[in-house]
Amino acid sequence: MCAIRDAVPVFSKSMKKIKLGMPTGWLSKSSLFLFNSAGYNTEMNEVPTYVKIDDPNIECFLGRAYEIAKMVEKGTLDAGITSKDRIKDVAADVIEVCDFKFVRPGIWEEGKIAVVAPKRSSIKTIKDLKGKTIITRFTGLTRDFLKKKKISAKIQFSEAPDESQIGKIADAGVEFILTGNALDIYNLKILEVICASSIVLAANKKAFKDKWKRRKIEDIAMLLDGARLSHEYSGLMFHASNDMMEGVFRILPALKRPTVTHLRGENWFEVFTVVRKKQLRDLIPTLKKIGCRDIIEFPLRKVIS
Amino acid sequence: MKERKIKIGVPKGSLQEHSLRIFRSAGFSVQVLPKRYILKIDDPEIEGYLLRPQEIPLYIKERKLDAGISGEDWVEETGADVVEVCDLKYAKQRIKKVKWVLAVSGDSDIKKVEDLQGKVVATEVVRIAENYLKRKKVSAKVVFSWGATEVKPPRFADAIIDLVETGTALKAHNLKVLDTVFESSTKLLANKESWNDPFLRSKIDELAILLKGAVESEKTVGVFMHVDDKKLKSVLRVIPQRKKPTVTKIAGTELSDIFFIEDEEEARVLLPKLKRMGCAAIVEIPLNKAVI
Repeated sequence: MCAIRDAVPVFSKSMKKIKLGMPTGWLSKSSLFLFNSAGYNTEMNEVPTYVKIDDPNIECFLGRAYEIAKMVEKGTLDAGITSKDRIKDVAADVIEVCDFKFVRPGIWEEGKIAVVAPKRSSIKTIKDLKGKTIITRFTGLTRDFLKKKKISAKIQFSEAPDESQIGKIADAGVEFILTGNALDIYNLKILEVICASSIVLAANKKAFKDKWKRRKIEDIAMLLDGARLSHEYSGLMFHASNDMMEGVFRILPALKRPTVTHLRGENWFEVFTVVRKKQLRDLIPTLKKIGCRDIIEFPLRKVIS
Repeated sequence: MKERKIKIGVPKGSLQEHSLRIFRSAGFSVQVLPKRYILKIDDPEIEGYLLRPQEIPLYIKERKLDAGISGEDWVEETGADVVEVCDLKYAKQRIKKVKWVLAVSGDSDIKKVEDLQGKVVATEVVRIAENYLKRKKVSAKVVFSWGATEVKPPRFADAIIDLVETGTALKAHNLKVLDTVFESSTKLLANKESWNDPFLRSKIDELAILLKGAVESEKTVGVFMHVDDKKLKSVLRVIPQRKKPTVTKIAGTELSDIFFIEDEEEARVLLPKLKRMGCAAIVEIPLNKAVI
C-alpha cells in the first residue's frame, strides 16, 4: 500500500486541502453519483447540513449551485461542482475545468435553458415578448438575453419550477429543459434556446495558479470524467480466427485500439476493446455473423482516454 | 444417504443489506421471505436463517447454527466461544465505522473515564461496558438500555456507551465522545464442532473464500491501459509489483497493453499519475470476486 503513497509524497506528508463546493437540491444527486462512481465514498446529510468525502485532501461544503459559482469566483472555495448555466446566470468569473455534459444520471446529454411560451399564445417569436412578463429562476441569463436581442420585457423572479404559471401569471418563461416532458404537460413551446445546461467542475482562478491545488483539481476532474464516460461505454472481448481479423478490424470502432492476443497453439486470437454501448447493438450481431466466438460484454468503471 | 446441510445465520437490521449483497456478489441467489426468518439460498446444501445479529453468536455456540455472520461486538457481548473464520468488514466503511463510544452530555462535569466513579452508565452492551470499566479500573453502575440510548444523559444516566456510525445522533443530542470503547468488524463465525466436521468444514471454507472474495472485490478494481513501449519500464515501476501486472504486446504497434488489479482507493491516486506519464486508453473495470 505504501508503494504508491510514497510515490506521491505531497499527498501523504502534508495535509494540504482543497475546499470543494457540492450543490444541494437535485444537482446533489448527480454530483454524488459522479463522486461515488469515481470510487469516492461520500455521505450527505441535509439536516444537520454536511457532506463528507473519504479523501483527506478534500474538504467539502454544501451550497446552492449559484452560490457555489460565486464562492468559487471569490475564492471562498477553491473549486466546486455547479452547472454551466448557473455560472452564466450569476456571471461568475471562474475556470470551467471540466464539463461533464449531463445533468441527470441515466440521461447522458446536456439540458438546455430556453425561452418558452404557451403553444396557443400570440407570442410566436421572441420579438413578440416586447412589453410582456417573463417568469424565471434565471434572471441574469434572461436579462442578458433580452439585452442582446434588444427586447424590453418585464422579468419576474420565481424560485420554484414555473412551467405551470406560464400563460397564467406570466406570458412566457425561461426554463430548464431536459426531457421536454414538462413542456408537453403544460402545453408549452420553445421559442429560443439561450444556452446549454450541464454539470461542471469550476475552479477559482487564483487557486488554479497554485501548483498543488491545480493538480488536485485536475485529478478530480479526470476521475469524475472517467467515471461519467464509463456509463456510455462497455468492455468487449471475443475470440476471432486469423482469417476473420481483417473483417473485425474494419468494423471495430477505435476509441481504444484493440488489444489482440494470440491464443496458445491455435490459429485464434483474443480481441479486447472498449465500445460505445449504442454501437454494441449492431456490433455484436455482426461479429457473430463473421464467425467470432465467446463474445462477452462487461461494464466499466472509468474510461480515461 | 441423506443429503447433508449446513445451517447458517445471516443478520437482520443494519448488517442485513451488506450481508445479502456479499452473498449475491459471491454468486448466490438469495431471497428474503417477508415476515419469516428463512433465507432462501440457491444452494441445496445451505439452510439460511435471517436473525438478529445479537443472537447469532449464541446460536452458533449452542450449535443451533453451524456458521453465521455477525459483528465482533456481539461475539464479545455474548461471550460466545466460537471460531472466527474470516473478516468480512464492509470495504466501504471508511466513513462509517461501527464504533461503540463512551459519551456524556456536552455540559457534563465528566471529562474523562475516571470521573465515572460511582456514576451510572446506560448501554445496550452491558458486558462490553463492564469489561471496559474494569480495564480502566473504574467502578460505575452499568444499566441495560433497551434503545434510544442517546436521549438518556443527563437525566436517566450520567454517561452512555452507544453505537456510532456517523455521529449525527450524538451531535443532535449535544453529546460529546470521551473514548472509543470497542471498534467492531463483521465476521464469519463457526461452531467449534462444526469446524471439525470434514463436510461442514469444507463447506464453511468454500463460503469463506467466496464471501471474502466478494468483499475484496468491492474495494478492488481492474485496470487496462495502453503504454508506449519506450515508457513501459518507467510505468511498470509505478505499478506495485505485488499486483503482478500482465503486459501484452499489441501486434503491429509500438504499444503494449497492461492489466493489473488495484485497491479502489489507490487507483484514485494512481490513474491520474499514469495518465500524466503518458498512458492512454485507461479503462477501469469493476470486479465480481477478487481472490488474492
